[in-house]
Amino acid sequence: MIPKEAIKEFESIVGNEYFTVDPVICEGYRGGPGGYECGLGYEKMMVRIPKGIILPRQTSEVRAIVSVCYQYDIPYVPYSTGFYGAKSHPHVENALLIDLKRMNGFEIDERHLLAVVEPGIIYSQLQEEALRRGMYVSVGGGGGQVSVIANMINDGTSPHSYRFGLAQRRILGTEMVLPDGDLLRLGSLAIQEDPFWGEGPGPDLRGLLRGGTGWRGSFGIVTKMAIKLMPFQPEALRPEGVSPQTSLRLPQNRVKWVNIRMPDHMSLKKAVYEIGKAEIGAAVMKVPLFWRAVARAKSKEEFWEIWSKESEERIQSFHLLRVLLIAYGSEDQMKYEERVLTDIVTELGGQAQRTKQTDESWFKNADSAGMWLMCGGYISVDYISETLDHAVSQGERMADLKRNFTPPLMPDYGERGWFQSLEMGHQGYSEYLIYWDPEENTERVDQFYLESAKENIRRRFYTALLGPNQPLYLTGPAYGRDYHQWLLAIKNEFDPKWLCHPPFPLAHDQFIDEAEWMKTLKDWKEPGLKERKVFPSVKSQTD
Amino acid sequence: MRITEDILKLFGPEQLYYNPQTLDHYSKDYSLFPSKRPDCVVKARNAEEIQHVLKYAGSNGIPVVPSSSRVHFYGGTIPQKGGIVLDLTEMDRVLEIDELNRRVRIEVGLTWGKLSKRLEEKGLRVMMPLYPHPLRSVVTDLLEREVITNTVYEYGESLQGMEVVWPNGEVFRTGSASVEGYPESICKGVNPSGPGLDFYRLLQGAQGTMGVVTWANVKVEYLPKMDKIFFIPVSNISRGIEFLSQIMRLRVGQECFFLNRMNIALIFDVDFKKRGERVPPWTLLIVLSGFQRYPEEKIRYEEDLLRNLVKGEFQELLLLEELPNCPFSNLEIVRMLRRAWPDPLTYWKQRYKKGCQSLFFVTKPSYVEKFVGIVEALAIQSGYKKGDIGMYIQPIEQNRACHLEFNFYYDPENGPEKEGMAQLYQKAVLRCLNEGAHFTRPYGEASRVIYERAPEYVRTLKRVKAIFDPQNLMNPGRLCF
Repeated sequence: MIPKEAIKEFESIVGNEYFTVDPVICEGYRGGPGGYECGLGYEKMMVRIPKGIILPRQTSEVRAIVSVCYQYDIPYVPYSTGFYGAKSHPHVENALLIDLKRMNGFEIDERHLLAVVEPGIIYSQLQEEALRRGMYVSVGGGGGQVSVIANMINDGTSPHSYRFGLAQRRILGTEMVLPDGDLLRLGSLAIQEDPFWGEGPGPDLRGLLRGGTGWRGSFGIVTKMAIKLMPFQPEALRPEGVSPQTSLRLPQNRVKWVNIRMPDHMSLKKAVYEIGKAEIGAAVMKVPLFWRAVARAKSKEEFWEIWSKESEERIQSFHLLRVLLIAYGSEDQMKYEERVLTDIVTELGGQAQRTKQTDESWFKNADSAGMWLMCGGYISVDYISETLDHAVSQGERMADLKRNFTPPLMPDYGERGWFQSLEMGHQGYSEYLIYWDPEENTERVDQFYLESAKENIRRRFYTALLGPNQPLYLTGPAYGRDYHQWLLAIKNEFDPKWLCHPPFPLAHDQFIDEAEWMKTLKDWKEPGLKERKVFPSVKSQTD
Repeated sequence: MRITEDILKLFGPEQLYYNPQTLDHYSKDYSLFPSKRPDCVVKARNAEEIQHVLKYAGSNGIPVVPSSSRVHFYGGTIPQKGGIVLDLTEMDRVLEIDELNRRVRIEVGLTWGKLSKRLEEKGLRVMMPLYPHPLRSVVTDLLEREVITNTVYEYGESLQGMEVVWPNGEVFRTGSASVEGYPESICKGVNPSGPGLDFYRLLQGAQGTMGVVTWANVKVEYLPKMDKIFFIPVSNISRGIEFLSQIMRLRVGQECFFLNRMNIALIFDVDFKKRGERVPPWTLLIVLSGFQRYPEEKIRYEEDLLRNLVKGEFQELLLLEELPNCPFSNLEIVRMLRRAWPDPLTYWKQRYKKGCQSLFFVTKPSYVEKFVGIVEALAIQSGYKKGDIGMYIQPIEQNRACHLEFNFYYDPENGPEKEGMAQLYQKAVLRCLNEGAHFTRPYGEASRVIYERAPEYVRTLKRVKAIFDPQNLMNPGRLCF
């Protein structure tokens, strides 16, 4: 339970209206069923209902709350929109959930191409305001409904990353409350009130915020962030359709999707390399056949009707390249880029397909909710930014590995995942999604998640899912080397009591130690108990 | 001396230097900052040798100052607390050129002069700062976040995965170069991010205080097939900046920046006397480029955009296709932009009076006029000729921000002039700081006043530094350490 003295202090910080220990309200913050990681053993075993909910309005309140947590040893979890079903929620008993939705400050600076957001602001709001002013932002795969800040410090890749680059490059002046309550302002905010610049002074402490992905809420609370916006072309994207079947109509003279059927996987990859080399396009990707079924189906039943007609043979011969062209400067730019694109794909035997000129996913809606309807649960079991070659090879290897885990995973006929070009071909981004029915036994899904991490290590693949997403003592020695030692040293320095979303970044290690169906897969060494941070057994908490 | 005796056991005399002349050489640079001798200099040739030095230094509490080249303008390698200078200039190999993935892997001592030449032979280029000194280290300039002249690519930063020897002597690889067995792996090290944290960010702007980088992967691009350069004389800098903002939002141009009259004269050897008083104070240079396919078409539509803008809102501007009275052809000027300065003896920042003290920071373009006024007024008050100040404005990220640089040329052999220069520089730092300038990489004495304004940042920086370098042996006395 949260001590009475602490309750009084929390109430004095935010007022009675914005703090509660009411079990009914706390129950409302139970994770899932939300689709992402839904119904996995990890969720069942690790997630706890918070014992208190607090909603601060400003940074000073966040600092005061963290300070009380440190005084009374109360574990706390920052929460914005909770996209990461299981990982967004408390993993230990008696935790305080700090819901940041009231922190919804928002400013946009058209002249200097940036927006300043608080954690309660979601992409849908930001993109709408940016588009109105001739700018746009990259909406991550989590969708328009996710918190901008949470996405920027944890993930943030989208097809627009082809031009925009890695998400963390767009983080500018940032304010955060460190896990122990200390305040940190990054970039120009370190010295002045203007957050227009992200670096320095001197070594760039934005390096603490994340790596390929972030801390999942276990390294303090970002309370304000300025992010870069990009200038867009001048014509409007017109909304059409009736919810939930909505889309944006593209002005084809300025914005255009082009679908191209390539003869084989190699030519598709080569085309992606060549497009980057020619420096054209605004997004370039390989589309899995599976997406087509999702796009065409209007219901779960219809999806299965379409999908069950597919075959391994058809998957292996389906090589669809999808390119987004944006004429930022003039319609002549569109003509030029279309001409170059046509040249490249024609040389490689590609054939342009009739392409619907609407967008459902990548400008505003990012309709990720549609992606899990067919099964009920899904997760990106891996995502990586390395070369395009790496993207293709890793997808092939994951597809092979997955065969051993299907079912319970959804049959996908050997689909090799999707990949896209990143930073104009300097990198390739690949993502491997898996789907399952949460009503079935999902132990093998948990096992596949772990096996994918081991496969990366065996094959020397890179992955964004290092840090808290996989067992830290498994991946630590294999990357860096021993990156986990630095990660843990930083955690220990800034959160000596490990109160900020425990047991991250060791949550997955603990899960594997305690889940009976995972124990047999543990074949790596870890430090002795004296060195390792130990938390009360999640099993004993359940008991 | 004990240090040299000990190090002689690790390295032969061909790698260890401690004679007074050599120590004098390493005690100073081209900056205004006071000299200070190291105890010795060790020339390392690989990561293992760096490990030996760091482990020895750690065991004996001896400061270590990494130095990747012998050309420094800001005092960053003057050993303020003595100790060992770790000279990395012999680590200057190009380890890989990977054309498919548009990257090179280079050692830390490789210079702009050597790299730009190697890449040009392959039809490639690395994005470069404005005419870098040919003997400066590429990796160090990228770590120090030297701004590049080509800002058309939104993804910007060139650094990718790299190798660092931490102060405790452990070798670590960042980003996707962190996989076991690299470079013998499918991973090529193109992703700078991770593992777990963005370690590379902690190494940037650190002036060697966080560890010793040994090699890095760097993005390269293809050289354009065709270029066209425009020179746009500008009298009112705020109008020029407004024009620039509009063209950059249209994604027009590759290299693009403003130089003032003084810097145009120094870089392009232009004789302004011939041009009389009508010479405008600023010139905007913009290069339009076409790539492998239909290069003319790309240049044509970009040029149309430029001309339409001038015909419309900016009729007072002229799009000149030549720089008057310039001894170089337009093609040569474009080539120069993609190469290091050709001769170290005539480096443009040193050709007027040998010495150059640069004051630079990041700001919003709308503040440029204000800062120019402030700095010119301070210079006049200090008896410095206003017309002798070189100025360079580099737009960044569609001109949402800019790098503003003032170059004060002075005679380093003239004591009173040098002293006056130091005072003017300090005054200018303080005044610009008060007016909102953001110094992303503070050097020397200026860092003290800058860090005084950032107590929270300094507190966290020191906590992080203590994790990686608990004895504060890496370049002590630098930044806020």
